[in-house]
Amino acid sequence: MIDNCRLIENRELHETLYHYRVHPGMDVYVLPRPGYQKKYAIFSTRFGSIDNQFRVEPEQKITVLPDGVAHFLEHKLFEDERGNVFDRFAALGASANAFTSFTQTSYLFSCTANFEQSLQELLDYVQEPYFTEQTVQKEQGIIGQEIKMYEDHPHWQVFFNLLAGLYREHPVRKDIAGTVESIARITPDLLYRCYNTFYHPGNMALFVIGDLEPDRVGQQVEVNLAARDYKPMGTIIRHYPQEPAEIQEERTVQELVVSEPILYLGFKDMVVEKLQGIELMRREILMELLLDTLFGSSEALYNDLYKEDLIDENFGAEYSAEINYGYVMIGGETKDPDQLYERIMDALSKIKKEGVSSEQFERHRRKLLGGYIRRFNSLEFIANNFLAYRFRGTDLFQLPSILHEVRREEALALVEENLDSARHAVSLIVPPEEE
Amino acid sequence: MPTVKFKTISMGIFLHQELKPDLAALNALLPSVLEQGSRLYPDYLTLQRELENLYGADIATDIIKSGERHILAFTLETAHDKYLGEDGKLLQKGMSLLGSVVGDPLVVDGAFRKDYVKQEKSQLIKDIKAMLNDKVSYALERCLALMCAEEKFGIYKLGQIEDYEQIDAAGLYRHYGDLFTRSPIDLYVIGDLDEKQVLEAAGEVFSFSRNGEYYTLPETEIMRPVNEVKYVEEEMTVNQSKLVLGFRTYTGFRDLLHCPLMVYSGVLGGFPHSKLFMNVREEAGLAYYINSRLEQHKGLMVISAGINYADLQKAREIIDRQIEDMASGAISDAELHNTKQGLINQLLSRQDSPSQMISFHLEGSVGGKAYSVEELTAGVEAVDRKDIMAVAERIKLDTVYLLRPREGGSQ
Repeated sequence: MIDNCRLIENRELHETLYHYRVHPGMDVYVLPRPGYQKKYAIFSTRFGSIDNQFRVEPEQKITVLPDGVAHFLEHKLFEDERGNVFDRFAALGASANAFTSFTQTSYLFSCTANFEQSLQELLDYVQEPYFTEQTVQKEQGIIGQEIKMYEDHPHWQVFFNLLAGLYREHPVRKDIAGTVESIARITPDLLYRCYNTFYHPGNMALFVIGDLEPDRVGQQVEVNLAARDYKPMGTIIRHYPQEPAEIQEERTVQELVVSEPILYLGFKDMVVEKLQGIELMRREILMELLLDTLFGSSEALYNDLYKEDLIDENFGAEYSAEINYGYVMIGGETKDPDQLYERIMDALSKIKKEGVSSEQFERHRRKLLGGYIRRFNSLEFIANNFLAYRFRGTDLFQLPSILHEVRREEALALVEENLDSARHAVSLIVPPEEE
Repeated sequence: MPTVKFKTISMGIFLHQELKPDLAALNALLPSVLEQGSRLYPDYLTLQRELENLYGADIATDIIKSGERHILAFTLETAHDKYLGEDGKLLQKGMSLLGSVVGDPLVVDGAFRKDYVKQEKSQLIKDIKAMLNDKVSYALERCLALMCAEEKFGIYKLGQIEDYEQIDAAGLYRHYGDLFTRSPIDLYVIGDLDEKQVLEAAGEVFSFSRNGEYYTLPETEIMRPVNEVKYVEEEMTVNQSKLVLGFRTYTGFRDLLHCPLMVYSGVLGGFPHSKLFMNVREEAGLAYYINSRLEQHKGLMVISAGINYADLQKAREIIDRQIEDMASGAISDAELHNTKQGLINQLLSRQDSPSQMISFHLEGSVGGKAYSVEELTAGVEAVDRKDIMAVAERIKLDTVYLLRPREGGSQ
C-alpha cells in the first residue's frame, strides 16, 4: 500500500475503501468490487448552479455569473483541440457522460475494458479546457433545445416553480441550465475564469469503483497531476445571498398539457444552514424517517388517499439538504389538488398532536437500512453518492450507524421545526382549458 | 443464478401471454389487482408492512410488451441476510411473499374483491391518460401505434380505456385462473445462494397444480410490407417539436443479421459518437437529444429527436443523408470499431445488475433463442461493412410522426 493511502472501513457492507490524498490537494477514492465486469469513475468539482458569486483570495472583486454557467461549462469541456471527447471514449469502448447539479459538476465513464486508458482520458480532458467563440455559439443552440425540452416537462416545471416560490434570494430558485437569454451572455473568457477557479484539483475529487487494484489507480492519478505543474490556489469565497425566512410566493400555477393536475407542496428549511457533518446527516436521516412515517405506502394516509383516487403510486415526499439550503417536497399527480393539499396539511397537524408509535418508527428504520444495503449493488449509486456526501462534509458509510442511533423524539421535534406551515409554498401544474 | 457479487436476493416470476386486443386490459390489470392483497396478506397495508419487516423488501409488478407478447411481471428484491445478521431466512420469506401474491390471491365468492378491481381500473385508466405527460415517450408511442395500427404490436401495453369498462371482478378472476394454469412461466432467482436451497424453497412455494394445456404463443409478425410511407402531424401546446421516424428492418431476434442490425442501429444513432448525434447535434446544433433504437423482437427501428419546428426540413435532410451513408457503406473504421466496442460494453455491463441479468434472459425466452453473452459479443465483433449494407437493404421507412406546437403558438 502506498504511503498517502488511508483505509476507510464499511463494516455493515463488508467493504474497504482506499483514500489517497494527491498533490495538490485532491481526494481520490477507490473501492474494489471483485466480480464486477464494469468499472466506473466519476470526477467532480464543487461547482454547481448555485455558485454564481465568488472571489478567490486574496482578490477582493466578486465575479457575478449569468445563470447556467456551470452547466454550460460542463457541455463545453466535451470538446477540445483534439476534437470530440465522446469519440475518444467510444474508441476505448467506454461510455462517457456528465451532469451538473445545484452544487457540483461531474464527469464520468463506465467501461468493461481499457480501464487505465479511459481513466487517463477522463483526467486529461477535464484538465484541458478549450473554449472558442465559435464553439460557445454552437452550444447555445444545443442547450437552447435542452431548455425547451424541460419547458415541456411537467414534473421538472412543477419542481422549479416550487423552489422559486419557496426562495426569495437563494440561487437554488433558478433552473440549473439557465435561460436562453442568460446563456446568450456566456463568453469564452467567462468560461476560462470559472474553469481556472473551480477546476483546480484542490476543489475536486475522484471516485473509482470496480474490480481494480487501488494502488495502481492512486499512482496513475498522482503521476497525471504531477505532470501539470499546479500552483497552490487561494481559498474560494462563495457568496450566497441572505435568505429571509419568508417565502416568495405561496402558490404558483402553470398551464401545461397534462392528463391531470400536479401538486407539489414544499417547506423551506431555515435551520439546515447552521449544520454540518454528522449533524447534517442526522437531520437528513430523521427527515427521511419522518416523511416515510407520514406519507409512506405502508401508512394509513397513503392508503386512504389512494383508495379515494386522490393520488397514484408515484405520490411521495422527500427531503433534500445541502450545506446552505434545504427543503421538503411532497406531492404528485392528482385530480383534486385542493383536497389533496388539505389532507396533507391535516396529516401534519395530526402528527403534531398524536405523534408516531414506536412500532411505526422501527418499521421505517428497518426499511431504510434494507434500502441502503440494496443500493450498494449499483456502482454508480455508491460513487455518485459518496462524493455528493463528501462535498457536504458527510460520509455515506456512516449512514447505518447514525440510523441505529436516531430516536423517535428527535424526529417528532422536526415536525414543529421543519414542517412549519408559515414557510410552505404550493406549486401546481394544470391542464389548459382548450386542450 | 448464483453469484456472490450482489448485496441482494432478487427474484422474478414472469407469465407469458399473447398480445391481443381483447386481453390487453385484462392482462395489465391483473398484476395491479394481485398486488393489492393476497389470501395471507389481505390488504395493501398488511402486505406493505410485512415487506418493511423484511428490511424494506420491494415487490414490484409490471406489464411488459415485448414483440407481440404480453408478459405479467412480479419481482421481489431484498437485502441479503449476511449484511443484516439474519440467519438465512430471507430467501424463504421473500419467496413465500412473492408466491403468495402471484399464486394465492384473495378470493371472495369466486371473484377478486370488487373494490380492489374498481380502484385499480381507475388507476390504470389514469396511467393510460398520463402517457401524455412525457412528450418524448408520448411521441414514440404515437408513432408505433400509427405504424402498427393493423398489427397486434399496435396495441398499447395497458390496452384502451374502453376495454376497462367491461371488466368485472369475476371475469378478471376467471382470466387469472386461465392464465395461471396455461401460460408459460419463467422464474429467476439471483444472489449468493445455494442452488439446491433455492430449488427447495421454490418447490415449497410454487407447488400449484398446473395441468391445463399450455398456450401456444404465436411468433411476432415482422414481414409486413410498406406500401406507402405514412406522414402524421399532431398539434399540441408545446415548445419543442418531437420528430419520430419508424422503420421496418425485416430482421427478427433469431435472424442471422440480428447482430449486424444491432451494429447498424448503433452506428446510426445508438451512441454519442453515432452519425445522428454527431451530425444533427454536434455539427448542426439542431437538437439536444437524437437517437435510434431497436425493438428487436418486432424488428423495428425508431429514430427520435427534439427540434425546433422551423428546423424540421434541415433536420430531415441531415437524417436522410446519414441513412444513405449507411446504405452505401460510408462508415469510417472508427465508427464501426467504436460502435462494436460500445455494444460489447453494454452487453457485459448488463451482468452487473440483477434486474438487467433477468431482462437479458427474458429477451432470450421471448425471442426463442437463448444467446449467451459470449455469443452476442462474438457476433457483434464479427460484423463488417457488407453485413451492415445487407441490413440497410432491408430497412424501409414506414411512418413519420411529428408532434408540433400549435400554429401561431410558441416554437
